[in-house]
Amino acid sequence: MSSLPQFLANGMVFSCIIVLGAIGLSLVYSIADFANFAHGDLMTVGAFGALVGGRYFEGAFPGADVSVFGLPVSFYLALLAGMAVGAVVAVLTERIVYRPMDAGSIELLITSIGVALSYRALVQLQFGAGRRSYDIGRGGPIDFFRETLGIGMTSRSLVIVTLTFVLVVALHLLLQYTTLGRKMRATSDNPSLAKVSGIRTENVVVAMWIIGGALAAAGGVFLGLDTIVRPRMGFDILLVVFAAVILGGIGSVYGAMLGGFVIGMTHELTPVIPLVGVEYDSAVAFILMVIILLVRPSGIMGGEAA
Amino acid sequence: MSPPDTSQRARGDAVLSIEGVDSGYGDVQVLDDLTMHVADGEIVCLIGPNGAGKSTVLKTVFGLLEPWSGSVRFAGGEIGGEDPADLVRKGVGYVPQIDNVFGSLSVNENLRMGGVARKEGLDETITELYERFPLLDEKRGATANQLSGGQRQVLALARALVMEPELLLIDEPSAGLAPSIVDDVFDDVQTVNDLGTSILMVEQNAREGLSISDRGVVLDQGTVRFEDRADRLLDNPEVSRLYLGG
Ligand SMILES: Nc1ncnc2c1ncn2[C@@H]1O[C@H](COP(=O)(O)OP(=O)(O)OP(=O)(O)O)[C@@H](O)[C@H]1O
Ligand SMILES: [Mg+2]
Repeated sequence: MSSLPQFLANGMVFSCIIVLGAIGLSLVYSIADFANFAHGDLMTVGAFGALVGGRYFEGAFPGADVSVFGLPVSFYLALLAGMAVGAVVAVLTERIVYRPMDAGSIELLITSIGVALSYRALVQLQFGAGRRSYDIGRGGPIDFFRETLGIGMTSRSLVIVTLTFVLVVALHLLLQYTTLGRKMRATSDNPSLAKVSGIRTENVVVAMWIIGGALAAAGGVFLGLDTIVRPRMGFDILLVVFAAVILGGIGSVYGAMLGGFVIGMTHELTPVIPLVGVEYDSAVAFILMVIILLVRPSGIMGGEAA
Repeated sequence: MSPPDTSQRARGDAVLSIEGVDSGYGDVQVLDDLTMHVADGEIVCLIGPNGAGKSTVLKTVFGLLEPWSGSVRFAGGEIGGEDPADLVRKGVGYVPQIDNVFGSLSVNENLRMGGVARKEGLDETITELYERFPLLDEKRGATANQLSGGQRQVLALARALVMEPELLLIDEPSAGLAPSIVDDVFDDVQTVNDLGTSILMVEQNAREGLSISDRGVVLDQGTVRFEDRADRLLDNPEVSRLYLGG
């Protein structure tokens, strides 16, 4: 089961995780105007939020262990809990740390490194440095995919891909067809004109942190579901998430989606590249990023704001 | 073209009065004890050399800069340093000199963003604006980045009109436009005024700007040098020599 289709399937799953992380990072960049190094650890926070949520909801009510697409209902509730934790932590951090500082991009970037360390330290204090996993049975590959495509696709993978698709489409609809979405695009396009037009940009910024935090948390939960839950999980993929954002065009949400997809795929397709060891997966992703940036210095969707 | 007879209106109450205002950026003072006003229904044209502080006047009125001292009153109430988002809701509109449209948003979305503070009647007003500015109607779905300079300036004006402001601050509506389009934009400004909006307009094309205005104010080094009816300023040899290029 290490054929090209299999690597593509793996790539899809990893891409989804990167895409969810990249969207939030790009949103923060486009509206709050700084590179948020705490974003990876925000993913971790979401993953641990879901861990707690999972324990709480497991068997908490009749039907909690009913299986939907191969995973218990309690998992979906735990996911929502994790996303809520991600959103709340993101908003509180903005309120308590970033907003009062009223500082420039570089100061905020440096501060966010401190915030990242704080998140991780708090997670470790509470849960220890060890590895955890969601208390869900590891289902085998789904027959349908094995028989028709010859790939091993578990229900976990299927849920990750499906839910990411749902979240991305929901975000797209929000951005394009709601007043809040238009305000977000307007604020990201031209913050001073947004204020001048009467948009309460402080509220837009809060909405952006809620969405970015919730999506990062979802990415963290999916990473935990696909692999394991541990305090360094988000930090360890932060650079890959950054690569996706830069590749897509910094500050462009749609670019982040595309960049996340390309980087995620490349990362998982490393094994099929002759003479390159699997341990170089991140390096290959970065090299691809550099090559694309040589051709399009502002990223794939750079310059086409929002 | 002779200026419209607005002696009646010009005697009306001041919709905007700026008194003894100092303002600037950081430690750098730009406005020095500035006093001027806009009467209800007027177009006042603010002219002066580059760097005189014309844009700074508008930014200070619109709360983008906090006045260091003095008072800024709109319709009788103090507004100095008030949040622009609140001023929009009170009936003040502002068209910045540069970056005055949302480039990546469609024309229609730009107009909707102009009306975020409206509780009702948004669609009706936008429909009216499309009737008044047919070129925007044709380009509804295009992004602002795809418009020509003149079209963009009209969009910037229309965006500010969605709130149906009582007072409109416009910074150099004709900047960078081809001469043929300059007249169109000034016509639009005049129409806006005819429909009841008082206007404080900064203009680099001083003669054309003054020709559609009721009064003119000449600003130099952050302070008022001349202030008079627009037609008299145009006829004033000293103003002509110093500020209107002879
Ligand atoms: N953001 C800023 N920070 C610091 N100084 C500024 C800023 N904007 C303008 N200035 C300075 O303030 C002074 C007045 O600028 P202002 O933009 O008001 O002039 P202006 O009369 O509008 O000129 P122009 O005709 O070039 O638009 C200038 O000396 C300018 O360099
Ligand atoms: Mg100016």
